Amino acid sequence: MTIKTLTWLGLALFLLVILVPFWWIASMSFKTYEQIQFATSIYVPSPFTWENYTGLWTETRFPLWLRNSAVTGLVVTAITIVVSSLGGYAVARLRFPGRESVASLILILYLIPPALLFIPLYRVLAELGATNHLSSLFLSYPTFTVPFATWLLIGFFKALPDELEEAALIDGAGRITAFWRVLLPLAAPGLVASAIFAFTLSWNEFLYALVFIQDEQSITVPVGLNLLIYGDVFHWGQLMAASVITTIPVVALYVFIHRWMVEGLVAGGVKG
Amino acid sequence: MALPQTVGVPAVRARASLWRRARTREAATALLFLLPLFVLVVALIFYPVYRAVWLSLTDKLVGYPERFVGLRNYAYLAQDDTFHAVIRNSLVFTVGSVGLKIVTGVLMALVLNNVIRGRNFFRGLFLLPWITSTVIIALTWRWMFDAFPGRGFFNSVLLDLGVMSRPKAFMASPEGAMMAVVVANWWRGFPFFGVSFLAGMASIPRELYEAAAVDGAAAWRRFWHVTLPGLKHVMIVTTLLSFILTINDFNIVYVMTRGGPGTATQIFATYSYQVAFGQLRWGRGVTISLFVVPILVLGIVLISRYLLRDRK
Amino acid sequence: MLDSPISRRSLLAGAVGASALLTLPRPAAPAVKKGTSLKLWILKTYVEPTNKAIEASAQRWAQKNGASVSVEYFTFEDMQTKYVAAIESNSTPDIGQLETSAPARFAGMGQLIDLTTFARQIEGQVGKAPANVSAVTMVGDKIYSLPWYVMGGFWYVWRDVFEKAKVKLPTTFEEAKQAAAALNRPKDNFYGMGQSWNRTSDGYGVMQSLMYSYGVGWAGKDGKYKSLKTPAMQTVMKWATDIYKDGIQPADTLTWTGSGNNENFIAKNIAQTSNGPSITFALENALAKATDAKDRKAKEEALANHVALPHPAGPDGRRMWAIAMSFGIFKNSKDPEAAMSLIAHLLSPEETVAVMKDSYGQFGPVLDKARAASKDYFNKNDNYRTFGRAAEWFAPTGWPGPTTAAAAEVQASNVLTDAPAKVIVDKWSVDQAIDWEDKKIKEIYDTLKG
Repeated sequence: MTIKTLTWLGLALFLLVILVPFWWIASMSFKTYEQIQFATSIYVPSPFTWENYTGLWTETRFPLWLRNSAVTGLVVTAITIVVSSLGGYAVARLRFPGRESVASLILILYLIPPALLFIPLYRVLAELGATNHLSSLFLSYPTFTVPFATWLLIGFFKALPDELEEAALIDGAGRITAFWRVLLPLAAPGLVASAIFAFTLSWNEFLYALVFIQDEQSITVPVGLNLLIYGDVFHWGQLMAASVITTIPVVALYVFIHRWMVEGLVAGGVKG
Repeated sequence: MALPQTVGVPAVRARASLWRRARTREAATALLFLLPLFVLVVALIFYPVYRAVWLSLTDKLVGYPERFVGLRNYAYLAQDDTFHAVIRNSLVFTVGSVGLKIVTGVLMALVLNNVIRGRNFFRGLFLLPWITSTVIIALTWRWMFDAFPGRGFFNSVLLDLGVMSRPKAFMASPEGAMMAVVVANWWRGFPFFGVSFLAGMASIPRELYEAAAVDGAAAWRRFWHVTLPGLKHVMIVTTLLSFILTINDFNIVYVMTRGGPGTATQIFATYSYQVAFGQLRWGRGVTISLFVVPILVLGIVLISRYLLRDRK
Repeated sequence: MLDSPISRRSLLAGAVGASALLTLPRPAAPAVKKGTSLKLWILKTYVEPTNKAIEASAQRWAQKNGASVSVEYFTFEDMQTKYVAAIESNSTPDIGQLETSAPARFAGMGQLIDLTTFARQIEGQVGKAPANVSAVTMVGDKIYSLPWYVMGGFWYVWRDVFEKAKVKLPTTFEEAKQAAAALNRPKDNFYGMGQSWNRTSDGYGVMQSLMYSYGVGWAGKDGKYKSLKTPAMQTVMKWATDIYKDGIQPADTLTWTGSGNNENFIAKNIAQTSNGPSITFALENALAKATDAKDRKAKEEALANHVALPHPAGPDGRRMWAIAMSFGIFKNSKDPEAAMSLIAHLLSPEETVAVMKDSYGQFGPVLDKARAASKDYFNKNDNYRTFGRAAEWFAPTGWPGPTTAAAAEVQASNVLTDAPAKVIVDKWSVDQAIDWEDKKIKEIYDTLKG
């Protein structure tokens, strides 16, 4: 067995492992309830039906959930980018006492689990009157998107050459201008990577959305999916259709930017 | 910043104070830039953690005011056999899936490393599980393991291939259910390991490989003596990160099994949720989550050491 | 353990004080200020037309009174979280539909308004519920919610399967088990029964029906903890675990989610299962969606062959745990009088029947005037006649005692279904499981007096 054969075999195997589950749900999303229930046309649905997708749109509040998730994602991403680029720059490029500790602290923050915070955070948000609205998510999601994004950006900023910034400073620009005019544009790939991460983390989050929001008007997609299961009846086909639809935006975003995203992941994570 | 050698002492002192002022300005700017982060962290992370600790010392029941009861929640959990099971399950879940992720990550990195054309494409493609919502992943794998041939992938395939004559309920036993949630967690997470290791491999100096090849080492030995040691750092960091994130996972177990059958897959996060929102006991619920803190602290200390070492 | 147990009495005292001002001035329609806006929380059932019918009924009241109602739904899944969140953040609705153990729990927290006087005042209009049902709405002798309907559990069987094997339709749990053994054909992937001890009402509900029918309860008539370590409980646990050990159920029964038994029954993998009317609903729906003549015939046969028997009886009687839904008014309501008016409207016989007509038999109305009015609806066929009798057999959580917060927590802690699971999965002995269950229940009662 040559290395080449092994490599091709491995590639094929990984492709199978990764793609089969996606194909399984996509294929089921095109089947009727009866086809699923009675196990007819298992692998390729025939006849093909769009009824789950249309049903999702007309019978459930899926469009509303999509909207809520999208709004939350955008707001949280905006907050994240602002906070983490400022903070990341400060840790990467400015000298101040305790800089190393702050850097470590940021990583530590990412590791504080939502599983620990959800109960006390609930009470804090309730006291602020933020529960039951999307604002509870605007406030709580940054607690995990910002540390991660900051950590990423620290790596990115550090990798940028000093000279450009120095040049700007010598030319009489203040730190803030140097940051805004020189570094930010250069760190664009890192910013894009952080933005995509923040959006993705926010789009996919479940526990906080489940606990903080009960108002029907503010339900996000993951919680909505959970709610599609009520009483004794699972709308299997619709659940699958919803899963497909929910995954598409993230995959689409990702297809365009994955290179930058991986670079960002790697720069921030691996090289430290 | 280099001071010109030929300047006299008063000039040096003037320079030094200018330098100090510049430094102070820099620190002030840093403070300004870090302020939003600081506010967010204190208000929405530190303060809730402090509240969590306080809550764990009370008997808070939903709808009733709380009363201080000292360490009673901790004492209760220490002798609660369900909680012992939760600890066991959490460890099995975490060690199992992280272990699998490490191995798969290495394999994935090896494979991708040898792919020249289209490597970026495949690397991107393989990261798909990592970006998908865990709720959807949990639902997907629940269906993959379903006992109904129309819904369960494995049952459909194995029945059609004639390997089985009757559908098997994979998730019906404690072992099966644990296997299922571990698989879902593994599937979601190994791409991250793979990509990290791939990047790690890229930074192993070529000379080491060349030297090994010159010494006549076969591929396997090159892997064992050059690649793996070169990946040590990345492996440790990634493993620690994944360990911490996995032991606190909620979505996958909640959506796939709700902690069942019985308490077979109940882990910290799902048990905390059940006690807090099912039994309405918030004091005890928070205490369950707090039990993870020592492990968390240990993991964090280890990671910091490794990362700091690298930065230096 | 506790030096001063959380006493609900002190909290109730506050609630009573508040409610003294809220009795109706006169028996008929309470005054509703124009422009009042009420928030109403309703259980979203799987039968969408019913949900719409209830909303329509509420809107009719709104129109009639120049007020407005905003209806919000909760599901079986998020019922707990939703109410818990609302209570903790002081954002409770005006009126909430409460499931079986909720009135006791919430009243104990002082969240509900005392409706004793109101209930008596509208009795003439809407009638009253049988004693076994109204028990869940009361704490002591004060009424905290008004019951509307019961979603019962019934014993579904495939009549043709029984007839072919010449087995009698079961009326007791013992008969059901024997029938299952007689009908079992594992080689053909067909099993005699499908009862899952899972964490849904299909699990803990049936366990309670089983226990109560055998005269076993974890609380006494006074609502205080009573030991489970009795011979009757041994028999109960044996029944619950034998159905697994004897191989008369599909292998994955233990892991079924709420819909698992529905699907297996409809797919004719099992001969018997306990369920609410959702199975009938599914079959009726399938028939309505039939694609061609052949499909139609098959679906008609299925509909004709499936029978919803009354839930099995035990040596101590026929008791059926069910989801009893009642309406309560939260203390934060800004206009309790308007809320009472809305409740009176919803509970009236005319409105109840209107909703019932879209309910596919899910609801067993409990107020006697509504029951009389809906007699025709339930006369549709044998199954529906059985559905309509749900209130007769109803036994609430915590039987034979009142439904207290502690009883509610026992149900919520999953100990009732975890215990048989330990025998089936972890291979404990029946005695061990009962001991463990008893210990857990005692713990709950010890830390939650009242």
